[in-house]
Amino acid sequence: MSQISRLLSLGRSIGFAVVLLVVLLAVNLILSPGRFQPGSWGALVGLAAPLIGAAIASTPVILAGRGGIDISVGPLMGFVNAMVIQVLFLKAGISSPLLLVPAALLIGALIGAANGFLATIVRIQPIVATLGTYLILTGVTLTILPAPIGPAPVWLKALAGPWSMLPLALMFIAWWLVRRTPYYDQLMAVGSDDRAAYTAGVDVTRVRFIAYVMTGIFGGCAGLMLTALIGSADPNIGPTYTLIAIAAVALGGVSLAGGRGGVAGAAIGAIDIFLLQSVLTTFNVSTFVLQIAYGAILVLAVMLTALQERLAMRGR
Amino acid sequence: MAGQNLFATTNARVVGAFCVAALLHLAGTVLIPGYSAPFAIRAMLVLASLLAVASIGQTLVVIMGGIDLSIPFVIGFANVVAAQVYGDGWNFFLVCSLVGVLAILIGGLNGLIARSLDIQPLIVTLGIGMVVQGLVLLWTAGFPSGSAPQAVSSFVSIGGSAGPLPVPWLVPSLVVLAALVVLVLERTPYGRRLYALGSNPGAAPLALIDPVRMWVITYAASAFFAAVAGVLLLGFTGSAYGDVGQPYLFQTIAAVVVGGAALVGGRGSYLGTIAGVLVLTEINTLLIGLGFQPSAVQAALGLIIVLLVSLYGRERHVSTTI
Amino acid sequence: MADRAAPDFRGLAIRDLVIASGASPITQAIAPGEIVGLAGLDGHGQELFLKMLAGLAPPLGGSIELALSGASRKITGFRKAVASGIAYLPRDRRANGIFPTQSVLDNFAVSTLSRDTRLGLISPAARKARYDIYREKLSIAAPRPDAPITTLSGGNQQKVLLARALALEPAILLLNDPTRGVDVATRHVLYHVFRGLAADGMGLVILSSEIEEILLLCQRVLVFRENEVAADISGDAMNTDSVISAMFGRAA
Repeated sequence: MSQISRLLSLGRSIGFAVVLLVVLLAVNLILSPGRFQPGSWGALVGLAAPLIGAAIASTPVILAGRGGIDISVGPLMGFVNAMVIQVLFLKAGISSPLLLVPAALLIGALIGAANGFLATIVRIQPIVATLGTYLILTGVTLTILPAPIGPAPVWLKALAGPWSMLPLALMFIAWWLVRRTPYYDQLMAVGSDDRAAYTAGVDVTRVRFIAYVMTGIFGGCAGLMLTALIGSADPNIGPTYTLIAIAAVALGGVSLAGGRGGVAGAAIGAIDIFLLQSVLTTFNVSTFVLQIAYGAILVLAVMLTALQERLAMRGR
Repeated sequence: MAGQNLFATTNARVVGAFCVAALLHLAGTVLIPGYSAPFAIRAMLVLASLLAVASIGQTLVVIMGGIDLSIPFVIGFANVVAAQVYGDGWNFFLVCSLVGVLAILIGGLNGLIARSLDIQPLIVTLGIGMVVQGLVLLWTAGFPSGSAPQAVSSFVSIGGSAGPLPVPWLVPSLVVLAALVVLVLERTPYGRRLYALGSNPGAAPLALIDPVRMWVITYAASAFFAAVAGVLLLGFTGSAYGDVGQPYLFQTIAAVVVGGAALVGGRGSYLGTIAGVLVLTEINTLLIGLGFQPSAVQAALGLIIVLLVSLYGRERHVSTTI
Repeated sequence: MADRAAPDFRGLAIRDLVIASGASPITQAIAPGEIVGLAGLDGHGQELFLKMLAGLAPPLGGSIELALSGASRKITGFRKAVASGIAYLPRDRRANGIFPTQSVLDNFAVSTLSRDTRLGLISPAARKARYDIYREKLSIAAPRPDAPITTLSGGNQQKVLLARALALEPAILLLNDPTRGVDVATRHVLYHVFRGLAADGMGLVILSSEIEEILLLCQRVLVFRENEVAADISGDAMNTDSVISAMFGRAA
């Protein structure tokens, strides 16, 4: 009895996503020791990086609460991918990282600002506003890039394997810096109770707007990571990241109601999903079974998270 | 203040959406020869009716304060299963019953999990939808076969006619169905409870509303109408296709929102959704008629949704909710 | 008066009710026509007690029974409580009371929807007629009953919620701080209504954070301290000093 409750309290303190991570990692190591030997960890991180980036990018607006969500993160990644390769690299001949990286982040920031403008100043429900940007970005991406094209600049392709840690680390450092600022407290306050925050003098609109811009910048970075991974431009891959990223965020213990969680949880949730895909692939089942297991485990995981939270509440 | 209130009521939003649809149609008639030709109008009415059926569930779910991302998957599921089973020689009535019952079970599960464990319906319906699609793919090995009975095809055929009316039976049937949905929402205890639950979930149990029961019923209804849309689409396209529902994921949400519903719940109407459906159908037809590529149509659709909703779908500032 | 259950109502019997672990049990009886006040410092158990009477919180021990002529019904949950003739008016109007996007009529009728149905459909005329009874009784000032409830003043919103509870035609009415954030004029209307209901045989339990209100309305007050009834004061002994002393645990 006390063993179980101790285990539960352990799970509560370090989070369900981490427990899942350890379990999945162990399963992967047992099932495919070759693929998961230390030497290939770098390549694995590279494979997971765009999803981790997308999950991190989705987090700030969700933290800001009141239905805050950005479903345009995936299409933004695809748009950045198309712009960087097709427009800037192949057409305009710009290949320097000193220009391409700021350009990608700027595109992200601008799209984020547009979302923020629509969601916080025009005050359209976030899911509708970003649905609009989702459709616009997907359409524009397909217009400038009707079919996949390549290649990517050499330095960018080099960011695919172990070096994909670099952009991820930069994202974490950026978030760590945000956490040191008073803005972070305001963000969490707005996310958990915007009325109370407003009454306490917080500029709710500004706080939420900045959250959208952060999501945009992180999304631009995730777009670069996607470009590094595929080493080319493909208009159809970006949008597929949206819903999976949001699932990862939810799995990582970030409350979709706002005010609870952080990018570390979102990243762990994303790694969980990646490892899950990996486990399922090693069973060498058809992609159909993969999809069934994938959906079922997603639902089961959020159910277990919810049940665990309930138990925690009751135990109090 | 007065100007702000003009569009504030749900009724004004619905009227506004109908006006936009009419204006779009007028623009199309002026810009594109043959836009208002009988065949073109028939085609638009059929496409709009199919979207309207698929959007019934999304309307109910959104009024309740939820969202249903499983609609496209259930449409594909019904489409493929109906074709396959009918192809195996089942009686078509049995086919429909089977698909309907399975859809109700899928939807009920969505509602049960999301409400009883208080999980975001976004995640639950997405996960369940993916499982459903995977199962269908597994069953058909990715290559669905079979076709719709002639009756369903002529029911939705653009060239069909309903007695003296120059439209297929789908269109008048939808009018009747729409009237029923409006009646249920406005005049039955279920409808009033649905609005109340969406309006303030915290107050609902004290007003004798059982949230879990409401969510199970409503998500089951949503999946049921998605399945109906899936079978109708089978008649429309002639052969089964698992991804036939995919365009309906965002279109149903867009139709509901353009029609004046609030995704936070408690607001919206099926008449508004019909207006939203008409707006979306008009935009699509107009842009394709003007020679835009599908990708450009999609981008324009996004732009117009944002513009329309910023006209009359704005939320209140936090300071006015204190 | 349309109080269906009231004539049969023989009282609410609370036996050995334990509201918190370690607290001594509470045995009380609420008689028909009685107005009982609940007082105490915030968080000393009076709200928990009221919620247990409504079936909203499970008791740690003991029982609550509604005695009707010939039978008695045990209260084990909120639905059971309502079905047995108990109505509850929640404390936080915005969080647990009103449905802000809905009309005054919808807000009034939501708990009693099936009473207006004809062949499964709600009859607007029947609903309006039922609302009008309570509009008059509670003098609700709502120019348009089909306008959203948020267009009404706080006091009138509260009256609509009271009308919703009364529409259940309860034998016992449980009120959780019913005049919180309500203007003085409306308060006196509510007091008048409460007295009228008691005179017709309804039992009322009123939790109030204002002692004056309890002294004005109630024949009896239960003062809570540390999840127990510290004092059961009635009649001439009921005054500000005695209630406050009991609240702070001093001998009166």
